[in-house]
Amino acid sequence: MKSLKAEGVKHMFGLPGGQILPVYDALYDYPELNHILVRHEQGAAHAADGYARASGKAGVCLTTSGPGATNLATGILNAYMDSSPVVAMSGQVPLKFIGSDAFQEADMLSVMLPITKHNFIVRSVTEIPSTVKLAFKIATTGRQGPVHIDLPKDVQAGKADVKIPADVKYAKATKLEPERKRVVEAVGLLTKAQSPVIYAGGGVISSNASRELVALAEMLGAPVVTSLMGKGAIPENHPLALGMIGMHGRRVANLAITESDVLLGVGVRFDDRATGEVSHFAPSAKIIHIDIDQVEIGKNVRVDVSIVADAKRGLAAIIGGLRTHAKKGRTSEWLKRMEKLRKEYSPRMDYDEVPIKPQRAMKEIMSVLDEDAIVVTEVGQNQMWAAHFFVTKKPRHFISSGGLGTMGFGFPAAMGAKVACPKCDVVDIAGDGSFLMNSQELATVVENKINVVACIFDNRFLGMVKQWQDLFYKKRRSAVCLGTTPNFPKLAEAYGAWGDCASRPSEIAPKLKEALRCGKPAVLDIVIDPDEHVLPMVPAGGRLDQMFT
Amino acid sequence: MKQRIFSVLCENSPGVMMRVSRDFTRRQINMDSITVGIEPSGMARIILMFKADDHMAEHLYKVISRLTQVINVEVLEPETSIVREVALLKTKKLSDKKMWEVVQVVEKAGGRILESRNNALVAELSGNHEDIEKLVQTLGPDVLQEVARSGQVQISREMG
Repeated sequence: MKSLKAEGVKHMFGLPGGQILPVYDALYDYPELNHILVRHEQGAAHAADGYARASGKAGVCLTTSGPGATNLATGILNAYMDSSPVVAMSGQVPLKFIGSDAFQEADMLSVMLPITKHNFIVRSVTEIPSTVKLAFKIATTGRQGPVHIDLPKDVQAGKADVKIPADVKYAKATKLEPERKRVVEAVGLLTKAQSPVIYAGGGVISSNASRELVALAEMLGAPVVTSLMGKGAIPENHPLALGMIGMHGRRVANLAITESDVLLGVGVRFDDRATGEVSHFAPSAKIIHIDIDQVEIGKNVRVDVSIVADAKRGLAAIIGGLRTHAKKGRTSEWLKRMEKLRKEYSPRMDYDEVPIKPQRAMKEIMSVLDEDAIVVTEVGQNQMWAAHFFVTKKPRHFISSGGLGTMGFGFPAAMGAKVACPKCDVVDIAGDGSFLMNSQELATVVENKINVVACIFDNRFLGMVKQWQDLFYKKRRSAVCLGTTPNFPKLAEAYGAWGDCASRPSEIAPKLKEALRCGKPAVLDIVIDPDEHVLPMVPAGGRLDQMFT
Repeated sequence: MKQRIFSVLCENSPGVMMRVSRDFTRRQINMDSITVGIEPSGMARIILMFKADDHMAEHLYKVISRLTQVINVEVLEPETSIVREVALLKTKKLSDKKMWEVVQVVEKAGGRILESRNNALVAELSGNHEDIEKLVQTLGPDVLQEVARSGQVQISREMG
């Protein structure tokens, strides 16, 4: 507990059990550490992840051994795929029982190994302070990611007079300075570019480089497109922001990539859902790639100039190099074309139909939320509608499960985000399928007065799977219909939350306002058109310039 | 595909080998040889041999370098490094004549006899992979009862 306090931990999400009792017993004496008792350990992992993404600080979760620890696994892998700093700790059977198939024993060292940035088993109480310190350092420096600590029960119960170290050695924490030669090459390409595009990802957000991103875009006169994880890196109402690229990206953003002559990817990993067929990705462009993790350079797409550095340092170095070269107005023709395409492909949202079109629902939600509201999403159609239509104005204000695509992420992650930012409205854009995967956390938010609002885009289908079956499997809808239950408002009320249903477009805004003001967690069930697809779309492995509608 | 050799300097702590080897397993790369030794500094040195194309070899170099417990990865070229492997060969029970022939073959190959009892013997050969392979093939399954091989260790020829 002292180690956690020393790391500045104020909140943690967890659920106790037999093999973590000594830690929970110690917690009893630390009321200043706010422990939020979840109802399922997966919820704890996602909440810690949501907390980390909203706050920029490490999120912490704590569970018992065996099933408690394995229940963390999905949430930890989710954090790993999206480079989110989470420190997870779980109990373990006493050292002498390890390997004996003891009650609630799981080999967590092996389970966590491929799904964390690093993991530990602590073999002596004297190792606890340095291990915790190192865990936080590994999680939060370099490319961020989750770290797991396995704590055998006898080690937890041991007593030792050990000082908490002020610092621990972690060789890989060294911040990389962008290589000068590469920066000069990048500046050379950018100054000559007629149709430059900046492709910004989650690395821009995690290194707090939004200001540098906007400054560079304005200096270059270059439009900015983002990945799903990069949404919010540039205010999406900025004239140079074209939105998300990829399978369900904005058409103008995908065309910008395709037509660009120099593409600067920063803090992105050129994921397959974003690039489509790589041989046709930015086919005429020289590609510059800035990333903190050299593993990402050249992994998925060919790169002409690579700069290994965090986004902030990389962008700052390029800005520094450009100051002497910048010439205004060189890209004005290109920007005019982008503006024309943006107008041409501006998504329509003003549908009046009943059942409600999801585009209209998103418009109504946007009309209620201010720019400080944090939007968290589940996974599936709801997520892609949110990513496509929602105009995010600040970094860390759009939180979504990108790499792993974990249904059930949104609601507990919203809980974590609200704990991190209690003054912001936090809304979980949910699907009815995803929401049910961690809806037990309604009990947690009600008991702890964590007033988040879930807006369920309720179409009674596993919508994205249905969409693929409709489009690519001759409408053979196999195992995607969820039927008529549950009644979501009543489910919310059963937990002591606010619940209501909107079945007409005009009902959404007033009911959402009421949900945000009701003084407790809320569920707004929005009945949407079950036949609506997420469009436009690039089929898996297709070309970004060939979207169908 | 080209033969690759990585010499990985890492912390000597539990789990390092597993972390390194799973980076190969996950990418469906079979390791031809893996050996570990402890350096005078107390660090462990893992020598890995595998076959991979350039793109995969570079990717593996980066992912292994990224591991928290790995200090550095050196890429050794077979042409500019010294490669050795040790094999212990135990024969079946042989006739006196055959025993004599085997001793001749082993000694000609540069090996030596470590033990001989009850018309069987144990021989040792150190050399490069091909030397050992050649001896094992020459003696063949009619002579050999059991072969224990160390895997290959490499060191760069660079000095100073």
